[in-house]
Amino acid sequence: MNLTELTAMLRDINFWVPALSAMILALATSLVGSVSVLRGQSLIGDAIGHASLPGVMLAFMLFLTRAPWVLMLGAMVFGYIAYRLIEYLAGPDKADLDRAQAIVLSSFFGLGITLKSVIQSHPHYRQVPKAGLETYIFGQAALAARKDLYMIIGVAIFTIILFFIFYKEIQLSIFDDRFADVTGFKPDLVHQITLILILALIATGLRVVGAILIAALLIAPTVAGLQWKGSFRGVLRVAAVTGVVSAFLGTLLGRLGWPNGASIVFVLSLITLVSIVIGTHSTLRKKRMSRRL
Amino acid sequence: MNARLSNNLSDKKAAITVNNVTMRYQEAPVVQDLSFNVEPGTMVALVGPNGAGKSTLFKGMLGLHPLVSGEVLFNGEPLNNVRRQIAYLPQKSEVNWDFPLTVGELAVMGRYPRLSWFKRPRKQDKEIAAKALEMVEMTEFKHRQISELSGGQKQRAFLARALAQEADYYFLDEAFQGIDVRSSEILWEILEDLRAAGKAIVIVHHDLEAVDQRFDQAVLLHRKLIAAGDPATTLTKENLNTAYGGPQS
Repeated sequence: MNLTELTAMLRDINFWVPALSAMILALATSLVGSVSVLRGQSLIGDAIGHASLPGVMLAFMLFLTRAPWVLMLGAMVFGYIAYRLIEYLAGPDKADLDRAQAIVLSSFFGLGITLKSVIQSHPHYRQVPKAGLETYIFGQAALAARKDLYMIIGVAIFTIILFFIFYKEIQLSIFDDRFADVTGFKPDLVHQITLILILALIATGLRVVGAILIAALLIAPTVAGLQWKGSFRGVLRVAAVTGVVSAFLGTLLGRLGWPNGASIVFVLSLITLVSIVIGTHSTLRKKRMSRRL
Repeated sequence: MNARLSNNLSDKKAAITVNNVTMRYQEAPVVQDLSFNVEPGTMVALVGPNGAGKSTLFKGMLGLHPLVSGEVLFNGEPLNNVRRQIAYLPQKSEVNWDFPLTVGELAVMGRYPRLSWFKRPRKQDKEIAAKALEMVEMTEFKHRQISELSGGQKQRAFLARALAQEADYYFLDEAFQGIDVRSSEILWEILEDLRAAGKAIVIVHHDLEAVDQRFDQAVLLHRKLIAAGDPATTLTKENLNTAYGGPQS
């Protein structure tokens, strides 16, 4: 691609509509994902992402439609079941949390893949258009369908607004839930609200980057932010910029023939890795410095 | 009242009543039928050996642990009516120090209980938080992440949050453990000012030496109340032997 082609593309509405959708989605996942990371629950996001897949497949089997809203609700329901199951299996002190996550992730994801092959081979589904179901696993090659874009933009804006409405409450409950509790902030309610936001974003993001990579969209931006800033606000700002820039560059790469969802995650991971190595606030850098002294 | 706090606090008097409180920890009774009063303008130490139920009682008073029976009243009202008036300094081990939060952000957090949904801290809130940081001599660390502070500075930062809250009731869990002399002095000075302003202060304390010099009242417990009242008459050799199960050195 030469410069003329690039400028032509940057003037093309057909580039900007999907690019902006991905950028708004990334902004939402960057903000809401910070809750998972800062609460030390990064892996739960990954488990929920994988575990949403059977929800998508079952919703398709039940309602025989590919309507994104229907499949999204299926994903949310299964994400919720997975979350509760992880909590239950982890035990009251969360002693077995990592095992619970691993087991729920692989069993649910396996179920999803199995259901998908049932859909493909069973005569009952022969008449129903089912192309595109595989994008829920690996993400989309290119974001194009208007229905998808509307849903992505709708859910993302909704979660961003809620995040800002509950900004104080969210900050308090993840940093110091006892203080939040004592002073009457109902941290449990805030946890439930953020869980719903996370489930909704995972279910929506599945359509773009797929079940395998969705967790990166939630986790990586905050991890990048933590490498540069020591304040809550600062971390959120860097996370937001990281997510939005990655979504833009990923969509650009998508235009060059790279798979869209995967290239977003690729750029995002690259920025995060570089931040971990050179970030002014990174633990690795601090260790290097203290070794030199 | 000392100049430090002069115009930052209401003169509202604060009293706490603990009536026949019984609590359990994993089925085992930890606190049994315990009663005592915290008068306005007094500083009370909760003392007793490890496992005596100090922390459980402390959490029970704050509604963080359920009461099996009995009640805790704040100026005659239940906890739910006064939650926003309670300042709480957690034990150091209970704080997530790696959290991305600056000293300035922590102090502003003290204003959150006074703000309704949607509302962001205004200029006035930031000024009150800044003044609180000044009082604990932490202004120069405003932009520092909480993980990068010394033990004493950490406590001062949390005390700034409590001061920004302009609360009536102050609860401190082992606040004096592992802090430097200067920080300890600042903490005591400010607590004494709060006491002079009529606030109620409850501190889980393990250093028996300082109790009779610093506190108005000691509550000595070992599962049940052993003695409560003036530290000199409460922390007698006999009572301490009962609580700690042997003579204290």
